[in-house]
Amino acid sequence: MASRMTSSGRRTPPGRSLVWLFLIGILVFLYAPLVPPVLLALQDPATGTLNVTSFGAIAGDQVLMGALLNSVIRAIIVGIAAPLLGLAAAQAVRAFGIPRLIITVILLPLFIPGASMGVSTSLFFKLTAIPPSLFTMAVVQILWALPFAFLIILTVMSGFDTIYLEAAYTSGSNRLQAFWDIELPQIAPGISGAAIFSIILSFNETVRTAIVQGGNNTVQTFVWSRYQQVGLTPNMYALMSLIIAVTLLLILALVVLGRRGQNKTQGRAVTTASEG
Amino acid sequence: MSIALKRRDAGTVALLGGPVLICAIAIIAPLALTLMVSFWERQMIGMKPGFTLASYALFFDGARFTVLERSFWMAASATIIMLAIAYPAAYLATFKLAPQRTRIFLFLLSVPFLVNYVIRTFAWAYLLGRTGPVNGLLQVLGLTAAPVDWLLFSDFAVYLGLVAAYMPFMVYPIWLSLSAIDRRLIEASWMLGEPPLGTFLRVVLPLSLPGVSAAAIFGFVGSFGEVAVSQILGGVGYQLMGNAITSSLDVLNYPMAAAMSSVVVGCMLLMLTLWLRVFDLRLFLGKMLGR
Repeated sequence: MASRMTSSGRRTPPGRSLVWLFLIGILVFLYAPLVPPVLLALQDPATGTLNVTSFGAIAGDQVLMGALLNSVIRAIIVGIAAPLLGLAAAQAVRAFGIPRLIITVILLPLFIPGASMGVSTSLFFKLTAIPPSLFTMAVVQILWALPFAFLIILTVMSGFDTIYLEAAYTSGSNRLQAFWDIELPQIAPGISGAAIFSIILSFNETVRTAIVQGGNNTVQTFVWSRYQQVGLTPNMYALMSLIIAVTLLLILALVVLGRRGQNKTQGRAVTTASEG
Repeated sequence: MSIALKRRDAGTVALLGGPVLICAIAIIAPLALTLMVSFWERQMIGMKPGFTLASYALFFDGARFTVLERSFWMAASATIIMLAIAYPAAYLATFKLAPQRTRIFLFLLSVPFLVNYVIRTFAWAYLLGRTGPVNGLLQVLGLTAAPVDWLLFSDFAVYLGLVAAYMPFMVYPIWLSLSAIDRRLIEASWMLGEPPLGTFLRVVLPLSLPGVSAAAIFGFVGSFGEVAVSQILGGVGYQLMGNAITSSLDVLNYPMAAAMSSVVVGCMLLMLTLWLRVFDLRLFLGKMLGR
């Protein structure tokens, strides 16, 4: 069916190229904004000449370096906590008889605007007398990353045949052993993928974090508050270019990891097939 | 599913139930608290427990209600525009591309989404500005003599920013439900003599509605509570619901921020409940649930 459609598409080249034009047009529209920050960072607004001083200048900004450290620490916390919680939730979907309820609750933050979620969590911390800190910022970001981590792990788990677990149980292993020795190696690529995804989301989150930041800054809230207070300078554009570069590198890591995971499972499938 | 997997022991319940319960509380408790605070009284600084509808009365009475109305129409129309782009994109990616290429397209779509959208919105402000490349291009092409003003700090700019921020996100649910359609149904419709358009309208479109509605909710909720796009691309004084909420918070009017936030979340929950009533979650997540 699919092949029939493609072949009929090939017989009518104009239709085919319109399809490509539309899809590539969308991609151009989405990728266009990734370019200007680099140009604006390199260009001196007064003279119009190109130089890299703005990149050097941001390294000397103490507040920014503190914000960067905060961002890294929180990205690590979110990158560990969100996949673990997502794994627990995904396992609970399978183990408990209430999959709809669990999925709805965990995915809820996806459907709530950033401002509302930020206000709610900041009120929650205010009433429970928890001062704004790295912890509160981490909680907000974990709740934001959790639905994505959960969906990724759920997808990978759906490709795992539970019959292997039953085999482990009948061979006398307990639940924990069966999970650790049988299921975990199979779904590990999904978990590390969820971890990197969570790190990227944490690193790039502004609106929710800005509401509960208190006196702390992340790289993102730093850019946002500078924009609101004094406007954007080449230094800020330099920072944005670096954020874009780091994000793209993390995505590259995700791709490499995905490739490796794929090869591994394929390799294993071959081994199992040859053994059988 | 086997009985062995359904079997529950105290260890499993604690190990899985504990974290899930904590997450559920962390997600639901703040929303419930916000609803409670929205009925509290506003003090000079902070708030006092009580029960008053003052915040709601002020909200539905004053200028903020205009913001609510405008946000609603803005979000609704932006959602329709985004669907008009996301649906063809998902459709073409599902039916007109080889599976390998579909994956590549969806991956390429997700890369910009992962780059902070506030940064991307800043970039749009430059691209659309009076001296920006878009105006430059229009002048070089001779389409306009002087720089076009309505490109930035206008409804147009806000629409564009919203589309750039939320449209890619909407392609996935639509693609999920399109790719789950049993191709034999489409073939059957062809064989029974239905023309392509008829097949689309009577088979493909109805079967893809769960994904379309999920996408519509994503897009609507995102646009409705938007903060950054409206502030950066709308210009000074341009307010959507998200801006109204954060500015109430800035002047420490917690009950008001809570009331507005609760109205927004209420709208969202209403849509989500309707969605869950009309469509089975498994229709949509069937692939992920694997059964």
